[in-house]
Amino acid sequence: MSDPLFKKVMVANRGEIACRIMRTLEEMGIASVAIHHVTESKARHVQRADEAAEIHGETPVSAYLDIDQIVDCARRFGVDAVHPGYGFLSENAKFAAAVTKAGMTFIGPDAETIALMGDKISARNFAEENGVAVAPSVMPTDNLDDFVEKAKSIGFPLLIKAAAGGGGKGMNIVREAAALAEAARIASSEAQRYFGDGRVYAETFVERPRHIEVQVLGDGVGNAIHLFERECSVQRRFQKIIEEAPAANLPSGLRDEICASATRLAAAANYKNAGTVEYILGADGRFFFLEMNTRLQVEHPVTEMITGMDIVRAQIDIAAGMGLPLSQSEVRASGHAIECRICAENPEQDFLPETGVVRYLSVPEAEWLRFENALAHGQKITADFDPMLAKLVACGPDREAAIERSIHALGELALLGVKTNIDYLACLLDHAAFRNAQLHTGFISEHRTELAASELDETERAQVLAAAFLGFREFRDLVVGTPEPHAAIGGWRN
Amino acid sequence: MSFRLILEGKEYEIAILRRRPQLILRIDGIEHEFSELGGAGDGRHDLKTATRHIDFFRATDNDRQVVRLSGRTFEVGRIDPFSEGADAGGSQDALRAPMPGVVVSIHCKEGDQVTRGAPLITIESMKLQTVLAAMRDGTVAQILRAEGETFEKDEIVVMLESETEKA
Repeated sequence: MSDPLFKKVMVANRGEIACRIMRTLEEMGIASVAIHHVTESKARHVQRADEAAEIHGETPVSAYLDIDQIVDCARRFGVDAVHPGYGFLSENAKFAAAVTKAGMTFIGPDAETIALMGDKISARNFAEENGVAVAPSVMPTDNLDDFVEKAKSIGFPLLIKAAAGGGGKGMNIVREAAALAEAARIASSEAQRYFGDGRVYAETFVERPRHIEVQVLGDGVGNAIHLFERECSVQRRFQKIIEEAPAANLPSGLRDEICASATRLAAAANYKNAGTVEYILGADGRFFFLEMNTRLQVEHPVTEMITGMDIVRAQIDIAAGMGLPLSQSEVRASGHAIECRICAENPEQDFLPETGVVRYLSVPEAEWLRFENALAHGQKITADFDPMLAKLVACGPDREAAIERSIHALGELALLGVKTNIDYLACLLDHAAFRNAQLHTGFISEHRTELAASELDETERAQVLAAAFLGFREFRDLVVGTPEPHAAIGGWRN
Repeated sequence: MSFRLILEGKEYEIAILRRRPQLILRIDGIEHEFSELGGAGDGRHDLKTATRHIDFFRATDNDRQVVRLSGRTFEVGRIDPFSEGADAGGSQDALRAPMPGVVVSIHCKEGDQVTRGAPLITIESMKLQTVLAAMRDGTVAQILRAEGETFEKDEIVVMLESETEKA
């Protein structure tokens, strides 16, 4: 191995993603520096790192968001570059600028690009200017005649909303031109009544939308490639819980179009490093730009599994100025990969976060399986951080195999001591609508009843009770441990 | 000998009918015979009945057992007859929680005169609501948990005025 361009890199993150980045750093022969709040001094990412710096903050999260402190740490530890992971400061333009200003390399795009894509309006305008489809809309107006004319030109179905709106008031779906004028009038008068503001606007209404995103890599001087798409339609509380690559049943022409659109956006922005362009895809095949995430994505492993690439390594190489690791024609994809986000939450109570202690952890192993985590026995799961505990990523020759393997692996996975969504995820993957790839962002609410945990039958209940009974030490001692005469005279502690 | 376990908000009675040569438990009124009991403690174990082999994971979490069996995970609590109310041992002044849980409602206030058996506090644990009653006649000295607050097993939730103080 030739000498890496960076000798030491700080990973400005925690949990599974910090461990995952360190794995690549190790492989590349680069030393790693972890940061941690005092509450996490024994965390896996701290133990894994070559060096670790304690950061301070009133709350653990505030420490990970403290730009000055983290940059100062990085400087003191003499790192060459900083990898932000995802979340925390990863899409903070000020952080990227501060790292650069301090003479280190930020493993990600320039601060200007982060700022451009971080603002919804500027990102949308930039996308539109560069030929990337955005959902057509009519800006807020109280001139209803003008509004109707403009709205007609967008096409149907349309969603009419109150400019000042919220809570579904003044919202109306219009499916044909004939109904438009009346719907606009009603929406406007409702808006006036509820919000004291009669202005309405309209945008294309996407029915049963799918969330499709494209992994891109850019070299910062106008060259960009894509690593194909991912589908992340299965969401709860507006957050993804199952992602896969490639997207199922996507006509190849449409796939090419979406991927080309993402590459075009990245190239136009002189995008540097790894990024993700997110789209909403309608049942009619129309797709619209949603946003661009200027960082490593949680679900990047599914892309790695189908392309065989290490995206973190690509990020480090690009940041070190080595350019794109390969050309578009060299990017190949095969098979299918699925990621399940294991979260400390209760699917039966609207996915509210749960806390607890990791009492027992058993992870299945297979060459087709990645279990990305930073869990340890005895670890407290608190409400300090995001409830995502781990990611279970499985691949197979095709989607069916990836589903089967994922369900099997989820069944073999045991994480006891905190309530998780593991069983729910297995149930979801096994649902006919998921197997048939009838996916859209409302999947979980559409199938709520079928996805609810079923009642235990009598036999299963007896098995659970017997297994638990024999787990209580005093009860078990009564059954197996106590000497015969003592037990014979009977009773329990009597 | 019978014991009470809580699963999904319901209480079940388990009795040991015979220990040898094979364990027979009466669970919720039905007899079950087990030829192998699996290992003790946390981990992956298996139980055997005459016709079935049951593979499961189990861990102790505070005063509960967490059991993962046929792809589902369950928390099983127990009601320990010896920690309930006055039987907790030691102080006759302290009303202790028989299991970890949360306070649903409080039926008394400090200074109230209560008689033995009067409901003092309703708690919820493992989705099961239980009323904790006064273990003797007396005066409520202190309520240590407010509605919505959580507690661990054996934590004191209500104190009665000490009888010696009164004397």
